[in-house]
Amino acid sequence: MSTEVSLNRDLVLDALHDVIDPELGYNIVDLGLIYEVEVGTGIVEITMTMTTPGCPAQDYIMSGVYERCKSLPGVDDARVHLTFLPAWSPRLMTPVAKAHFGIQE
Amino acid sequence: MAVLSNRLSRWTLPMFTCALVNFLAAQGLILAGLTWPAESISTSGTLAAVHLLVIGWLLLLVLGALFQFVPVITSRPLVSQSMALVTLIALETGMVGMVGGFFSIGAGYPTLAMALPLGGLAVCLGVLIACWNIGVPLIRSRPLPLPGRMILTGLAFLILTVTLGFSFALTLAVPVLAPYLAPLLAGVGDHALAGLGGWFTLTAMGVSYKLLPMFMLAPEERGIAGDSVHILGTVGFALAVGAGLARVWSAAGPLRTAELVGYAAVAIAVVLYLWDVAKIYRTRKRTVVEAHNRAAIAAFAFLGLGSALAIGFLMTGHLSVGAPAIVFLIVFGWLGGLGLTQLYKIVPFLTWLSRYGSSLGRGHVPRVQDLVLERRSYPWFALYFLGVLVGALFGLLGSPRGFRACIALVTLATVGLVIEYWRAWRGHYAHLRHGESATPPFLPTQRG
Repeated sequence: MSTEVSLNRDLVLDALHDVIDPELGYNIVDLGLIYEVEVGTGIVEITMTMTTPGCPAQDYIMSGVYERCKSLPGVDDARVHLTFLPAWSPRLMTPVAKAHFGIQE
Repeated sequence: MAVLSNRLSRWTLPMFTCALVNFLAAQGLILAGLTWPAESISTSGTLAAVHLLVIGWLLLLVLGALFQFVPVITSRPLVSQSMALVTLIALETGMVGMVGGFFSIGAGYPTLAMALPLGGLAVCLGVLIACWNIGVPLIRSRPLPLPGRMILTGLAFLILTVTLGFSFALTLAVPVLAPYLAPLLAGVGDHALAGLGGWFTLTAMGVSYKLLPMFMLAPEERGIAGDSVHILGTVGFALAVGAGLARVWSAAGPLRTAELVGYAAVAIAVVLYLWDVAKIYRTRKRTVVEAHNRAAIAAFAFLGLGSALAIGFLMTGHLSVGAPAIVFLIVFGWLGGLGLTQLYKIVPFLTWLSRYGSSLGRGHVPRVQDLVLERRSYPWFALYFLGVLVGALFGLLGSPRGFRACIALVTLATVGLVIEYWRAWRGHYAHLRHGESATPPFLPTQRG
């Protein structure tokens, strides 16, 4: 009986909950930093942003996304793209993250 | 994928370390009785303490922060990381030379007094290299946001300040030049205004315009208020300093008027800035204000208090009486206070980047806030600002003993904060939070 789960978008997003923005101290998925996830055969492509352009932690966060994706079963390579269009704002947070930071809807 | 970030300024933390040592050394000079605010600016102890504070402490602190911060606002790297080390060495050795030179002049050793202009030359060199290192990414950045424009303006005032300072050093230490340059010594107040106002204050305002919204999730766009602060501040300091220096050679009435217009413009800029800072706090999305920004409110209050006192003494014609206490409030309360509070965020952030950043995505890593225990910092911040406030009062009342007692409190608070920075750097609280005494596996030490 096989227990393998096929690679899909939800699985990748779930894994990326382990990557935090170190300053805000919260996972990048609920912060709304992940704009797109595309899953191909053995390849994951992530389009993401930062809370502010030139963020000193940018390279580490992107590297963290890459490493976490690469650690998933069935992933041979991961490509992480950075965009600031649209610019991030707290509006992009999930309700859970907004509640954590006390942000009114 | 490359893990090593080039966004980390390698020499920022060493610069902060040297800056804090110099700050404590300056406090030591005051505690030893070598100077206090009512003392004449021309005594060797006062000159040594003042330059330990403004070059050794504030200049190293601000340049160290800018080496990390300018790439953030421009998304461009510094021209050279290694030149940041050259700046550190030039400023530290130059400052030590200047302090030695001041004491040599005071002790009557003219030969050793040459350490003053030589040290001043090293400081000028360090500053010019830093201006090049920071200025190039700023100039090449299009469009340059308000914080960057304010920093560029600040750098121009910094060059003016060190140029004036170097000419003073030549006047004091090289007798053959004294007849030509001596009149400039009357502009020592303008030298201080260019440095504390045009350079440090405008730069601190610019940096705060980026960092406050960034850390509190407030709107970054400052609109007309921010532009007005920049323009009024620039024009105001330029008028006040320029007309003040021109008055060294000419007593023309319009120069005095221009100087007063300059002071008025600066006062309006400060009021607008404080109003705008309050707006940032009010419009923040992040409900909880972290310790560094809570404590920074006191520093902003000291900017307002120092400026109000300056205007008050100016209007009553007694600015020279209040000037030492006002300078003390600005150096210790506003600039020093803002520096100490922001270090409480910057040190853990840089620690996280250099020690834990590479482990992100590979396992559990602490948050930046896990590296500090905020409740430990509040008593030190409170003691520091209380010591500065009461110290300024004793300065105004003419009580050196009371003033030194307050500096002792300030020193105690500074040492307390330094210990907290050190604990953040060592990962002390992150270890405690996970109930382990040794470095846990999720906190790898990648350097050192």
